[in-house]
Amino acid sequence: MSEQRLRGLPQIVIGSFLMLLFIIAAALNYNMAELISGSLIKFAMNGIFVLALIPMINAGVGLNFGSSVGITAGLMGMCMAIQFRLTGITGFLAAVIISIPIAIVFGFFYGRILNRVKGKEDIAAIFIGFAFIPLMNFFWTVAPFSNREMLYPIGGSGLRPKISLANYFTKVLDQLFVVKIGTIEVPWGLLFFYAVIALIIVAFFKTKKGKALIAIGSYENFCKLSGLGINSNRILGVILSTVLAGIGICVYAQSYGFVELYGGPGAFAFPAISAILVGGCTGKRATVCQAMLGTYLYQTIFLLSAPIANTLLVPQMAEIVRMIITNGIILYAFLNQRKAGVHDEK
Amino acid sequence: MNDCITIQQISKNFGNQKALDHIDLGIKKGEIYGLVGVNGSGKSTLMNILFGNRVISESGGYTGQIRIENRTIAIANTKDAIKNGIGMIHQEFMLIPELSIYESINLNKEKTINQNKQSWLQKISYLDDKENKTLAKKTLKTLGFDIDVSLLVKNLSVNTKQFVEIARAINTDDLKLLLLDEPTAALNTEDSNILMKIIKDLAATGVAILFCSHRLHEVCNLCDKVSVLRDGRLVSTYGHQEMSVELLAKEMIGSEVDQMIREKGCTSEETILTLQDFSVKSPEERIRGLNLAVKKKEIMGITSLSGHGKAALCYGIIGYYPMTGEVFVAGEKKNNTISDSIAKGLFLLPDDRKEMGLMMEESVEYNIVFSSFQLKDKFKKKILKLFSVENMKIIEPYVKKQIAKLNIKCTSQKQKVRELSGGNQQKVCIARAAAMDPKILIVMEPTRGIDIGAKEKILEMIVKMNRDRDMTILVASSEIEELKRICDRIVVLCEGRLSGILDPGASEEEFALALTGELNNE
Repeated sequence: MSEQRLRGLPQIVIGSFLMLLFIIAAALNYNMAELISGSLIKFAMNGIFVLALIPMINAGVGLNFGSSVGITAGLMGMCMAIQFRLTGITGFLAAVIISIPIAIVFGFFYGRILNRVKGKEDIAAIFIGFAFIPLMNFFWTVAPFSNREMLYPIGGSGLRPKISLANYFTKVLDQLFVVKIGTIEVPWGLLFFYAVIALIIVAFFKTKKGKALIAIGSYENFCKLSGLGINSNRILGVILSTVLAGIGICVYAQSYGFVELYGGPGAFAFPAISAILVGGCTGKRATVCQAMLGTYLYQTIFLLSAPIANTLLVPQMAEIVRMIITNGIILYAFLNQRKAGVHDEK
Repeated sequence: MNDCITIQQISKNFGNQKALDHIDLGIKKGEIYGLVGVNGSGKSTLMNILFGNRVISESGGYTGQIRIENRTIAIANTKDAIKNGIGMIHQEFMLIPELSIYESINLNKEKTINQNKQSWLQKISYLDDKENKTLAKKTLKTLGFDIDVSLLVKNLSVNTKQFVEIARAINTDDLKLLLLDEPTAALNTEDSNILMKIIKDLAATGVAILFCSHRLHEVCNLCDKVSVLRDGRLVSTYGHQEMSVELLAKEMIGSEVDQMIREKGCTSEETILTLQDFSVKSPEERIRGLNLAVKKKEIMGITSLSGHGKAALCYGIIGYYPMTGEVFVAGEKKNNTISDSIAKGLFLLPDDRKEMGLMMEESVEYNIVFSSFQLKDKFKKKILKLFSVENMKIIEPYVKKQIAKLNIKCTSQKQKVRELSGGNQQKVCIARAAAMDPKILIVMEPTRGIDIGAKEKILEMIVKMNRDRDMTILVASSEIEELKRICDRIVVLCEGRLSGILDPGASEEEFALALTGELNNE
């Protein structure tokens, strides 16, 4: 019973912390309208990474600590779009479309590996994610791209670590259909794109295939005995997560303005996982609502805490707070999972 | 009172389910006290309380009082129990395979060189292997057993393991109470008799013994006193003179239950399922080279002692465990996968309902329709001609009808299955099988852990499916009495081999012989 009461407690704590930050920000005379529209952009640009976790969690493959696999597919898609000098919304959509088949192939092999380490997917995914980055580093240096804007300025071969999108599709979604409500700028284009992805996920989990995926995630033996293909469905979940992560990086990059190669993809897994856990997911089953709530709470806290902490406390405090919250929440979720497990055994 | 152990007003709940309801018992020194009851009547729970099993403390402990020699004791864990002179012999072996016999027997009470008073020093002092070996040997000798004590437990036969287990329990200086939970379940008749003698000898030395068994004639022979448990209540107690097998059986089941009896002889001559040289490997069991033919519209019982192959046979047929040999369904060869089994019209309801038979956190409705929605494309509709989703307009009335038909007690069809009682959960399983409408249904332990009233209802449902839908049904169960009532033929397995196919009218003796593999089957 006490477990039930505790559920939602983290959300309440974080929610109140967020309120506190808003109050302090107001007291420090920050521009609230700017902060709120900023929080909306942060929410949508990071949100798809969080949505991308859902298929894998629901298929019982665990938290996608190896999202760098999918993100790499997205980076490749964007590199192709830049290579062909596609600009504006066309460039963005081309990047997304090119990334999808690459992500499917990556996801297939990623899923095959995860099927072999059943029960230890989380830890295996962390190492796959780590191992994949140096592998791709090699690719980035030798890939035969020829657009000068992507290559190292000196020497002229190998992709540069940070490719500017200024001439291609920077902020195409951020600045699509921006409508001012009062003093707050609402980026409808970006939110619309996010909403479409979210709706596709919601709809997918209403279909027969989606329902089977959820059942396999929660009741593997039951489904095995019912004759459902466990491994193929798990791979499907991994592929979906990988594809969504690829789309996620495209959205992120257009907002951020740069394509970050090399070590870049490794930086997204932990914050996304933290966000969905903040949203109330226990790591066994996840909903789009949890992902949305979690992303907003998590991202907005950082948006607000950075300037506030830098003003009130020592500089660099923002980064420290960020690390404590991100990793602390993941640890908290693992502790909670263990508790839930004991409770199930009875 | 000169009772060695007194149990007063012991109660225990598992969730909302009452496992024990105010039990009073008193066992005298040197007395052999029998405890009988059907599965789920609370025998094991009582044993677990007395031996401080973790299951009890983890699910909220017990209420009531336990007194040993007029001292009230609290048993929170196994250590407390052993300290108070209680030993236990388990139904399933609780031995560590990689240890030798003498290590097993002396486990946690090893003699050490240079016995020191300081406990922390004792813990790190050298083990006196020689002394331990002689001690183990001596203990085994009292059981009439002479064996090299340095053999590893994993290499021993089932019988020997059981004796090591017993030796472990009695290898203590101040054993006051010995608990025996179905000690003879894994033994053959001969070894059972040896065990009986040992128990009697042990009792003669002044140890109180609580003996728990399904084999009623053993209880009648052995016990000075016997109590019957039914649904967690102590319903009656008899002395040695008063008890008889028939009386105990009647008391266990409760006479008010109407027993379901099926008219037989409606099977066709056509063979629907054929097993040829069929072998299965499961973690616990083996099936070795089985040949079997099941007729259409037949209800075939499958029984064996636990660990002798009835579960492996069922799981093997459906393809859950790897099998070799050939399986033909209505003349067609079936491959090794579960999906092919289901495509060919097989379906299995497993013995482990919680893990494999139900989705505990889902609704009654979803559980009933899930398999047929996913695998048979029933209850579905298309959206945009592309995506299939559940058609609630068909599902809701269908489930409503099934709930009424099978008399499933639930607050609504959206109630979570976890909240239902065992009997109703099993009914949900059967409803799921009915929705699948297979040609051959395999049901494992359909009445395990279910109260008596619901048992009859479930047997009735199985028979009804067989009659109304011409379904061929294989029922694997350890309840031979139930199999006798519903089956056309009963397959008895021993050590993974076919030991005999018996007529339901066969006598107890024939079944006992077949179960132990000693039936001559020409």
